[in-house]
Amino acid sequence: MTSTAARPAPAPAARPAPRPRRRGPRLTPYALLVPAVAVLAAGLGYPLFWQVVTSLQEFGLAQQFGQPPTFVGLDNYARIFTDDRLWAVVVRSIVFCLVNAFLTVGTGVLLALLMKAVHPVVRVVLQVGLLLAWAMPMVAAVTVWKWLFDWRTGVVNWLLVQLGFDSYAGHAWLAQPLSFFFVATVIIVWMSVPFVALSVYAALTQVSDEVLEAARIDGAGPSRILWHITLPLVRPVLSIVLLLQIIWDLRVFAQIKLLQDGGAPVSETNLLGNFIYETGIGRQDFAGAAAVSIFVLALTVLLSWPYVRSLLKEDAR
Amino acid sequence: MKIVRMAAVGVAAALVLTACSSGDDGSATGGEETAEAAEITLWLNGADTPDELREYLTTTFEEENPGSTLVIEEQDWADVVTKLTTALPDAANTPDVVEIGNTQSPTFTTIGAFRDLTPLYEELGGDDLLPSFVEVGKAEGKNFALPYYFGSRYMFYRKDLWSAAGMEPPTTLAEFADAVTALRTDGQSGFAIGGQDWRNGISWVFANGGELATESGGEWTSTLSDPKTIEGLEQWQAVYQGASNVPATERDVAYWDFLNDGADGAAPAAATIMAPGWARWSIGDLTTNDEGEEVRDGMADTEKFGIFALPGADGGLAPVFAGGSNIAISATSEHPELSENLLRIIFSPEYQQMLGENGLGPGNSQYVDALGEDEFATTMIETAAASKLTPAAPGWAAVEAAFVYEELFQAIAEGGDVTELAAQYDERITPMLNGR
Repeated sequence: MTSTAARPAPAPAARPAPRPRRRGPRLTPYALLVPAVAVLAAGLGYPLFWQVVTSLQEFGLAQQFGQPPTFVGLDNYARIFTDDRLWAVVVRSIVFCLVNAFLTVGTGVLLALLMKAVHPVVRVVLQVGLLLAWAMPMVAAVTVWKWLFDWRTGVVNWLLVQLGFDSYAGHAWLAQPLSFFFVATVIIVWMSVPFVALSVYAALTQVSDEVLEAARIDGAGPSRILWHITLPLVRPVLSIVLLLQIIWDLRVFAQIKLLQDGGAPVSETNLLGNFIYETGIGRQDFAGAAAVSIFVLALTVLLSWPYVRSLLKEDAR
Repeated sequence: MKIVRMAAVGVAAALVLTACSSGDDGSATGGEETAEAAEITLWLNGADTPDELREYLTTTFEEENPGSTLVIEEQDWADVVTKLTTALPDAANTPDVVEIGNTQSPTFTTIGAFRDLTPLYEELGGDDLLPSFVEVGKAEGKNFALPYYFGSRYMFYRKDLWSAAGMEPPTTLAEFADAVTALRTDGQSGFAIGGQDWRNGISWVFANGGELATESGGEWTSTLSDPKTIEGLEQWQAVYQGASNVPATERDVAYWDFLNDGADGAAPAAATIMAPGWARWSIGDLTTNDEGEEVRDGMADTEKFGIFALPGADGGLAPVFAGGSNIAISATSEHPELSENLLRIIFSPEYQQMLGENGLGPGNSQYVDALGEDEFATTMIETAAASKLTPAAPGWAAVEAAFVYEELFQAIAEGGDVTELAAQYDERITPMLNGR
């Protein structure tokens, strides 16, 4: 990059006058785009199209086994929207998603600041630790967390008892929805913090020392520097990781499913992903599941729209 | 440069995709009724069928059907319904013969996913086949799925603890409740059972003559509010609350661990558990097997470990929920004749005998003797004879998939009012049973 920029621009006189180009549509770029667009259409467009079509039909197990599906218009949507269970799941999912996203980004920023402040050796240790957590396969990680929180043989209960909290002997963490979601939040935040921490750390290294030094000379304390200089400078990165976290945490499925398999009040702990899975795969109500999926898609767009817009604005600037 | 590379990747990916799809045609044009040589696929679930039996099936099938081959693919119990839902309707990808959990059968028999086996019924064993399993594999009077093997569940107990407390195996359900309640301490369940564990819990319903659901005129109705069912649920509630230290949210726990001595000879976590027969091999004192691995000795110490069948409300045996599988042929199989030949091997005396010798209850009751004559075999045969299945309703798989019974039993275990809960869940379950 720097070498290109440093190279002196060739003198305009040395360049031969450009030949007049033939105006009109040039096909080559479009032809080159075709394969990629075709792959995208086949990979993303077709399933989406099928999803929309299914959500407008009566499609259950009988249709899967060959009965022609009948077109029912918006019946499936009417059916799921009048179902109280859906709204309970929606509220739960949004709250869970926002709490997790903000917790993750908050913890990630703190860790990034820590990495900036500590000795390089400590920083490398921290980074390796974060990468290991990030690289851990999800099923394995959830299994280990499940063991940690096991009611009978878990380390968490044992530690609490050793610390004198005797009521935690045999305490079932997954039994109540609130403590279930506490465990789920711990797992999800633990798994997503490394990405945020490393991204924000990368952004922090781009904040120029001159600016910070100037602020210090002007008498700004560390917290003022953080709030008024560092964070505004890394804001683009913060917004994109927050956006990604919100989208990811709204789609969370496997962690909850794995925890539920360990014994939990299932209908009180379902999130949107689990609700779709139960409707479609469990009850073979494929049409209803398709309708909920389309709804979740709309919800994701709605939740992330303000961020996407501000990102676009920043890009345009 | 970047754009060119992207485009190249796109072209390559598109080519790969078309290359994949062109291979699918052509194979669909096979002989319809002629048993011409072909490869057929059998789906077996989990590791339940031992390797020895699988080998017997492939070699015998290939001997009896020259030129044809049998491929056995093992499926995971947890997602077999999902896999069957997508694979069975598709002639190009369907397995030819499938094993299916007995209570999962109605989901597929009621929509014509399986081939009608009625013409073969007599030849494959007829009335000797386990009646409850035959019944669950029937739809509109036709046989679509036949019994493959059965298991059973009974009580495993610590004889030493029971006799130290001066107690003998009970003869009625009430005696059982009293005994396990007396055996409970803070560190030890008298009877270890999780609150969500309805597959064990429904034995109390069945023992009191209750039903989970009944059918009339093709309509299913959840009958939890039936006085007999409520009676059973209340008894179970009392047993759970009085005798179990396991949380109300637990289900399918590895209860057999509870019966073994803890580390360094610590007291076991339970005096009694209820489990399928094969749990025996996870119970006992530690010993070393031929490969030098540490294993349980299979309850070799008969002074310390024992089993008994759950007694009925007025003596006799309580009907327990029977585990086990059915076997069926896919309706879209392109090789129905070969598939039927495979069923003939499965229901042959030799294979039925082998099932029994490996501890699996043979689908044909003539061969149950093969299970042996020890305490385990006789208890298994007795409890299986008295066993019951869950309702053969088309929506049963949906009820299981939504964990409705898990929630109901958890609520009961937590001390909820059984009559109120029963009414509430009846309302929820009845529409699900009928498929909506």
